[in-house]
Amino acid sequence: MPSQLFAILWAQWKALRNFRPAEGRAGRLLGLLMALIWYGMWAMVGLGAYLATATLDPERLRIGVPWGLMAVFFYWQLAPILSASLGATIDIKKLLLYPIPVGQLFAMELLLRATAGMEMLLVMAGGAAGLLRNPAIPFWGPLVAVPLFIAFNLFTAAGVRNLLERLLAYKHVREALVFLFVLAAALPQILIYSGMPRRLRGFFSQSPFLLWPWTAGGHLALAERVLPSLVLLAVWTALAYVFGLVQFHRGLHFDFAARAAADRNVPRDRGFVEALYRAPRLLLSDPLAALLEKELRSLSRTPRFRLVFLMGFSFGVLIWWPLLHTSADPAGSGGSFPILISVYALVLLAEAVIWNVFGFDRSAAQLYFSAPVPFWKVLAGKNLAALVVIVLEITLVMLVCVLVRLPMPAPKILEAYLVTLVICLYLLAAGNLTSLYYPRPVNPEHSLGRASGGKVALLLLLTYPVLGIPVLLAYAARFAFDSQAAFYGVLAFSAACGAVVYGVAMDSALATAEIRQERLLAALGESSGPVVTE
Amino acid sequence: MESMLEPSPAISVLDLRKVYADKAAVDGLTLSVPRGCFFGFLGPNGAGKTTTIRMLMGLAPPTSGSIEVLGLPMPGRAVEIKRKIGVVPDESVLFDRLTGREFLEFVGRMYTLERRVAAERARELLGLFELQSSPKKLIAEYSKGMRKRLAMAAALIHRPDLFLMDEPFEGVDAVGARLMKDLLIDQVRRGATIFLTSHVLEVVERLCDRVAIIHQGRLVMEGEMAGLRNGSETLEDAFVRLVGAERTLETLDWL
Repeated sequence: MPSQLFAILWAQWKALRNFRPAEGRAGRLLGLLMALIWYGMWAMVGLGAYLATATLDPERLRIGVPWGLMAVFFYWQLAPILSASLGATIDIKKLLLYPIPVGQLFAMELLLRATAGMEMLLVMAGGAAGLLRNPAIPFWGPLVAVPLFIAFNLFTAAGVRNLLERLLAYKHVREALVFLFVLAAALPQILIYSGMPRRLRGFFSQSPFLLWPWTAGGHLALAERVLPSLVLLAVWTALAYVFGLVQFHRGLHFDFAARAAADRNVPRDRGFVEALYRAPRLLLSDPLAALLEKELRSLSRTPRFRLVFLMGFSFGVLIWWPLLHTSADPAGSGGSFPILISVYALVLLAEAVIWNVFGFDRSAAQLYFSAPVPFWKVLAGKNLAALVVIVLEITLVMLVCVLVRLPMPAPKILEAYLVTLVICLYLLAAGNLTSLYYPRPVNPEHSLGRASGGKVALLLLLTYPVLGIPVLLAYAARFAFDSQAAFYGVLAFSAACGAVVYGVAMDSALATAEIRQERLLAALGESSGPVVTE
Repeated sequence: MESMLEPSPAISVLDLRKVYADKAAVDGLTLSVPRGCFFGFLGPNGAGKTTTIRMLMGLAPPTSGSIEVLGLPMPGRAVEIKRKIGVVPDESVLFDRLTGREFLEFVGRMYTLERRVAAERARELLGLFELQSSPKKLIAEYSKGMRKRLAMAAALIHRPDLFLMDEPFEGVDAVGARLMKDLLIDQVRRGATIFLTSHVLEVVERLCDRVAIIHQGRLVMEGEMAGLRNGSETLEDAFVRLVGAERTLETLDWL
């Protein structure tokens, strides 16, 4: 392996080892635990593939293996996008300064594509081992087919990633594409709940079209139609190589600065929208009004926020839609779906406006500490902005629910607002603390990626059920006493407790801000190693 | 015959243009920087200095025009050129989660120095730039001046023939700046060429043999330092005159 490639890997290893001041050892351990669980799960799938390919007869493998390879292909190419991440990538901007031949950068890119498809490598290793154990399959079949199919996937993934990265540089294309990908993620769920159409079932019970790479790979792995399958798969791999290399080259020479400048030339909001931004000054005095106005302006101009906002009332409705249609009595269930969707939308929005409130500000966060503004006003301004967008989101959820004719009794609309806002109160209390304890810089221009780190993600997984308890108690009261009054009584009590919790958390956050100010600003100003993860 | 023996200029730029969203950041720039020269590239904010230097570094492709660096076409032979140049860009090109020593060693290896040599030079450069006192300190924790010094150290590690530097003294304290200036003068003495942009005109006046001034993407003037100034003019006076920014002091009522 060329020395520069080694040096990049070495520097990346060092950068990973030099943990961030904001995370610490516990964060790394939790991250490791999550990775173990995730890859352990995929190792189980690999084991399943092993058992299936080792025991099934060639007749069934002839249909199953090509479809399996197709699933591997689509997961490898699309999963990084659907999981809101394009995976790790070389920080070309910094590495372009050095005399590194393009071939080496491309090799590095392929290595990173392999890491992005690690789950599929596990599954394919399991499948290949099973075929090797299967006495009905000649041993050389999987040994030839699997490496070739992996190479085909790596080249394609490199091409797809670079093509997407360039497309995503076009502001509007970026947002439309990301939105479509996100919507597409709901498709399997809809298919599963609504039952797979008969035609589709029939389709999957036959071997796929002969010329597809997965069909050729499947046949080759089973040592059937060897020569045409080998030629076909080799041709697909060569095409994928050309595609990958061409796209990588174009990515290298693509001028992201010029593209960004073109987007900056778009005239800014005027008229009605401007009046909306200025609305806070009618109700509040400065600096709170100025802070709220700034938050609303910058959030609305942040692609990452726009995506989650859009997802709440579109993807949110889509993902719960099958549940409604499989429910025995949707109207009888009391029209609770708008509430579910609203809470789901809140969870989506929390990523952008609650858990890491200084993420989009990045280095600019130091202004909050240098300006003569009490820090509680800064947090309150950010929390008020979160409340405004959440109320707006719930309203849009309701409108979409009306449009798609979901059962919407008036009391349920009120319930949706109240329940979501009470949960929101608890989330804001916790969010003010996580924002100060686990700050992370987030590029507002990137639609994809997570706003909070792995440690926070795990923490949230444990926190959400706890923060939902007060509202669940209200539902328990309704169930136990069969009374709306009991429900609203407990909900009101939960809201009052939420206000107290918020106040206490705010005091704690202010004390924390005092102590952690330096660490907060250092963490928000950080950038990564030669390999970055989006 | 004589012209064949003459070395090509360190930098030769012909009718260079760079357009961002219909606006030309660099507009028909033609420039020649002789080898072994300390060259100052000046201009007001937004004049196109950084865009020009980014194109020379191979970080941004020109919209039109041609660039030759050390006799080789950029970007056609970018890898060969990059082996021979040392760069200090204006934006951060440092990897924050490495220590200074790790970063220098990494850069040395990017220039294909042997690992042992890269490690040795990294250690020496850290000492030279007085960055060795806290070896475990991450670059993220460095001050702006320390970051600039580290970037300068990284530019030196492979002993380049040409330095491209965008505001190298920005944020550097007097002691650091003095050290950097002495090092650069030393590099010119051994035959290297320096091409730098700076807003600190006193520094340019003291260091540079030749100067070019760019304004709104176009070359306003290029020549020897001595020929730039009229009579007792300072470089600052000449600069203000040439970019047409002379005006009487205005102030705001409330200020």
